[in-house]
Amino acid sequence: MRFNIAGTILLSSVFLVLSSLGCTKKATLDYGLKVEETLRINLSQEPPSLDWHKSTDTTSALIEYNMMDGLTEFDLKDPELSVIPALAESWSPSNNSKKWTFTLRKDVKWTDGKAFEAQQIIDAWERLLNPETASQYAYFLFSVKNAEEYNTGKIKDFSKVGVSKNEQGQLVVELKAPMSYFPSLLTHHATYPIRLDVIKEHGDRWTDPENIQTLGAFKLKIWDHDKALVLERNDGYYGAKARVKNVYGYMINEYSTALGLFESGRLDYQNTIPGNELATLRTQPTFRESPILGMYYYGFNTRKKPFNDVRVRKAFLYAIDRRQITDLLGGDMSPLSGWVPKGMFGYQENVGIQYDPEKAKKLLKEAGYEDPSKFPRIVLGFNSNENHQRIAENYQAQIKKNLGVQIELQSEEWKVYLNRVRTDTPDIYRMGWLADYPDPDNFLNLMTKVSENNHTGWSNPKFDQLIDQGSSITDKEERRGIYLKAQKILTEEDVPVHPIYSMVSHSLVSERVKDFPINSMDKVVLKGVSLK
Amino acid sequence: MKALIRKASFLPLGLFALSVVWTFLGYELPAVLLGAFIFTTLGYFSFYVIENHLSTYVFRRVLEAAFTIFVIASLTFLLLRLVPGGPFDEEKALPPEIKANIEAKYGLNDPLWKQYVNYMGGLVQGDLGESYKYVGRPITEIIASALPTSIQLGVYALLVAYLLGLPLGVIAASKHGEWLDSALMIVAISGVSLPSFLVAPLFVMLFSFTLGWFEPALWMGPSYYVLPMVVLGIRPAAGIARLTRASVLEVIRSDFIRTAKSKGLSWRKVLFKHVFRNSLVPVLSLAGPMVAGILTGSFIIELIFAIPGLAKHMVQSVTNRDYPLVLGATLLFSILLVVANLLMDLVIAMIDPRVKFT
Repeated sequence: MRFNIAGTILLSSVFLVLSSLGCTKKATLDYGLKVEETLRINLSQEPPSLDWHKSTDTTSALIEYNMMDGLTEFDLKDPELSVIPALAESWSPSNNSKKWTFTLRKDVKWTDGKAFEAQQIIDAWERLLNPETASQYAYFLFSVKNAEEYNTGKIKDFSKVGVSKNEQGQLVVELKAPMSYFPSLLTHHATYPIRLDVIKEHGDRWTDPENIQTLGAFKLKIWDHDKALVLERNDGYYGAKARVKNVYGYMINEYSTALGLFESGRLDYQNTIPGNELATLRTQPTFRESPILGMYYYGFNTRKKPFNDVRVRKAFLYAIDRRQITDLLGGDMSPLSGWVPKGMFGYQENVGIQYDPEKAKKLLKEAGYEDPSKFPRIVLGFNSNENHQRIAENYQAQIKKNLGVQIELQSEEWKVYLNRVRTDTPDIYRMGWLADYPDPDNFLNLMTKVSENNHTGWSNPKFDQLIDQGSSITDKEERRGIYLKAQKILTEEDVPVHPIYSMVSHSLVSERVKDFPINSMDKVVLKGVSLK
Repeated sequence: MKALIRKASFLPLGLFALSVVWTFLGYELPAVLLGAFIFTTLGYFSFYVIENHLSTYVFRRVLEAAFTIFVIASLTFLLLRLVPGGPFDEEKALPPEIKANIEAKYGLNDPLWKQYVNYMGGLVQGDLGESYKYVGRPITEIIASALPTSIQLGVYALLVAYLLGLPLGVIAASKHGEWLDSALMIVAISGVSLPSFLVAPLFVMLFSFTLGWFEPALWMGPSYYVLPMVVLGIRPAAGIARLTRASVLEVIRSDFIRTAKSKGLSWRKVLFKHVFRNSLVPVLSLAGPMVAGILTGSFIIELIFAIPGLAKHMVQSVTNRDYPLVLGATLLFSILLVVANLLMDLVIAMIDPRVKFT
């Protein structure tokens, strides 16, 4: 009898649950999108933040670049990536490129219909620079007058910072020092306009699909954390409308999983490919390869023996045949002897030290190491990764063969390694750099005395002065000459660094996709893409 | 009274089964069903605890658990700070003034004791802080969105483990010494020894790309659930089969089985009513540790099958030095483990009258 009571309760709860069937949704992830109008890409991970003032990673940037525009953008069809108008119709420098005036488009509307105006840029820059925002990319605008002071709290009044609007609604920017490439900085998402009213209303949740306001070719439709993200065509876009209706972003971290989905036709774009897969994939029609503005290099700790001696550093550079390393990687990277990557303005093939083992031996002798076994114990540090390991082993073998010197390899977990490089720099350390903006200044600046990324302990006032000079000049050929001089100091005379190769990006693009953008900034701008 | 308790166990078990079927069909679990399940389970256990005068025992266990979790939180907090490299160390080094702004925002420039006190203070109020990596997202929200998937996967895998392991173990034991026994045990040993990062791609190749039966990755519905849950469940299944077999063999030899047989009961009845029931105890006591194994083992599975669960955060948050997320995930796993162990101990006591709590 008692059991019957339990049975009744069970039955009635089953009934209750079944009756609520109508109000539960099926937990699928396809969101009712049609495959034929949806481009399916792999984002590889959950975008850490879609707040374009706070995000610092490439996944978030990919989404931001498709749903927002800046004052300027790159002409992705131009190999030198010239800067062309976007939200700004035109701009002109004055006062020796210390002051810039931008005329803004008047036909731009945000997704909620509100008009775009200069104040939204000023709001954005205030927010970016405000110490409370704690934006990592705040330094992007440090070239603006008093911006750095505002960010460090030395100035509290934002009206003293060099950005304002004039009566014609133009944006006027005053810089600390002349800077010829300033408009190219404005292609970066950190400098994009923002809707302060939206942020005030929704706080940290302003980037949720139901709150966010954007003005780019796509708008954020769905952001199902850790599962998927969907962009939808913005029909109110001021420029040429996007050709594909939806972009579906998967968040698949594991390469082999993504490849499985790609090969079975469930994915249209995959952009990270492990080195050992390149040889097999290269033959397929879906394989894409493009040089990008990035480089891979080793730095020497010049603070202590043996690399405090320039002859030893030079000996190491002469002892390495970079071609062996790039062949080993099989990714068609170009060996790089200068300090500006291939494909960028200022790149010079012949600058820097080339392979010459005889010269290497001679220099080592001159430095007092007649007997290589007396050479101090040196450590080559890198972060644990298959490719870094292969490169380091090859470097080790070449040095052993050509100089007779034994190098010890030391690999560490990424953040441990970063900490090591900063606090206890190995004799030789691995690093890389990807362009923030396509200007040689972005690369040469790394090795100035004040740069946080210069871990070599080396500095040269003449070099620093050339870099300052280079950024202030507008004449292209004159700049080229200055950057050549600077590269010679860095890679021929003082050699605190050992550039190894210029990077290449690899991706898989399905055959049903047309006009997928491939460019040297590795920017995935999808508005021109269409599906067959 | 005892009989009633036994009968009432149908309620939570039934609801549990219903929930499993429900979610497996690809529907979101309605709050009513989840609520009813939790309510009846808790009710059932409380009833059992009170009825058997176990309240002091359970209370003590809960206190112990709270202390354990406090120690885990403190140790994790301190150990994290001892690991070199901070959350905002990036390849592109930040200017010091910008780093200072960030550290000020997250209170990372406070003395360590103050950070600890702040964290513990928040913890007591159920506030786990905000993620450093996923800017502006509270840890509780990240966990709340990832945990259901992880539990779903874990429960399916556990069911696969028991539904495969128990019958196989009993069959092997009843055919003790015959070829079927040896064959099953060879399969079981291979099941234990093959790592899931090997089994998973093999299964995907076979069942997804070659046969086309199931989806190769993602977590969208029944055909997506099958491969991950089987791959995750297969190792514990093998362990359970071996343990069940050993346990059944031991029980078969005991006196009360001989008595049962001599009473004239059929062999099938003896096997399922007397032998099986009594061999369950060691197998069930394995469930607590197994929950831990399945939860931590699911990291590889979540990665390979691109499942949006919590195990991924558990590992990646360490790589990112996302202190609040590491702490949140660690605490959650500890709590799950502690609760699973306590419940299993109670279940065993229900099944085996010989078990006495002190």
